[in-house]
Amino acid sequence: MSERPTSPERDTPSDWVDRLLADDAHEYAQNYIDDAGFSAKVMQQLPAPATLPVWRKPAATLLWAAVGLGLAFTLPGAALDVAREAFKLFAAKPFSLSEVFVVIAIAGAGMWVTAIVAWRRV
Amino acid sequence: MATPPLSDAQLIARCIVGDDRHAFAELVKRHQSSIRACLRKLTSGNAALSDDLAQETFIQAWRNLKSFRQDARFSTWLYRIATNCWLMHARKRHEELLGDRDAELVVEDAESMSHGLESAANHAGSSAMKLDLERAMNVLTAQERAAIIQCYHNDLTHEEAAYVLGCPVGTVKTHVFRAKQKLKTALSAWGPDAVGGVS
Repeated sequence: MSERPTSPERDTPSDWVDRLLADDAHEYAQNYIDDAGFSAKVMQQLPAPATLPVWRKPAATLLWAAVGLGLAFTLPGAALDVAREAFKLFAAKPFSLSEVFVVIAIAGAGMWVTAIVAWRRV
Repeated sequence: MATPPLSDAQLIARCIVGDDRHAFAELVKRHQSSIRACLRKLTSGNAALSDDLAQETFIQAWRNLKSFRQDARFSTWLYRIATNCWLMHARKRHEELLGDRDAELVVEDAESMSHGLESAANHAGSSAMKLDLERAMNVLTAQERAAIIQCYHNDLTHEEAAYVLGCPVGTVKTHVFRAKQKLKTALSAWGPDAVGGVS
């Protein structure tokens, strides 16, 4: 349990310095300092926001769309060929149950580690 | 129907997620008085210096808002930044005396002040006592002064004060104990043994 130094239990009743400080603290707590433009001055001093130009986002979207279209026209069926070959390779190799279990365990451990690292960074 | 005011946590989330400066302005308005008052106490009432340090505190808070993990109250986190700003300033200006030789000087100061205050028993009213307390606070080291202000004036627990000062709880207790001993020596004229002292 947290203890407050001003609590009477902590200090002997004869601790007059403690009482002096408590009285001073009481007076201190009553004083409210008026803002008087302080907050506005702080807000003016804040670093400028890192704003990106307005045209940047649509330009980037257009560029990626162009790249995607270009790939689709220049490499027809390439993705399908790669997927087909990968499946053939996978299907040709016989897997034992223990191997499948090891792969699942490694993938699970990887996911947990990633989740913990991500959670600690938040 | 009026909407309830947003909590500090909600305002912080708005600042972080949406870079919302209005939300941060609200946080500044909410905490400016306590932070400026704390810094005024730390700087022995120097309003201009304390406001400069308070400004620096809020700017640092804005820059480091993402690193605030909400393991302490937002106000406590601000006290921590403010105290660090003041300690940095004190070190730069050599305003505070640290080290063995300086500690001796501090004790000498306390003793000379005690002699100077022997006539204080004749003073009437709390204003004289307040003035003497303010003067007596100047004989404390930076860490002792900060510990007293966090524990008494800002009403923080020892654990919270330790967080603010960035030291173990035991060290905070030691700082508070030593500070009170020094104040007792410096303000002996106001003690129960003195004529007309605090009973």
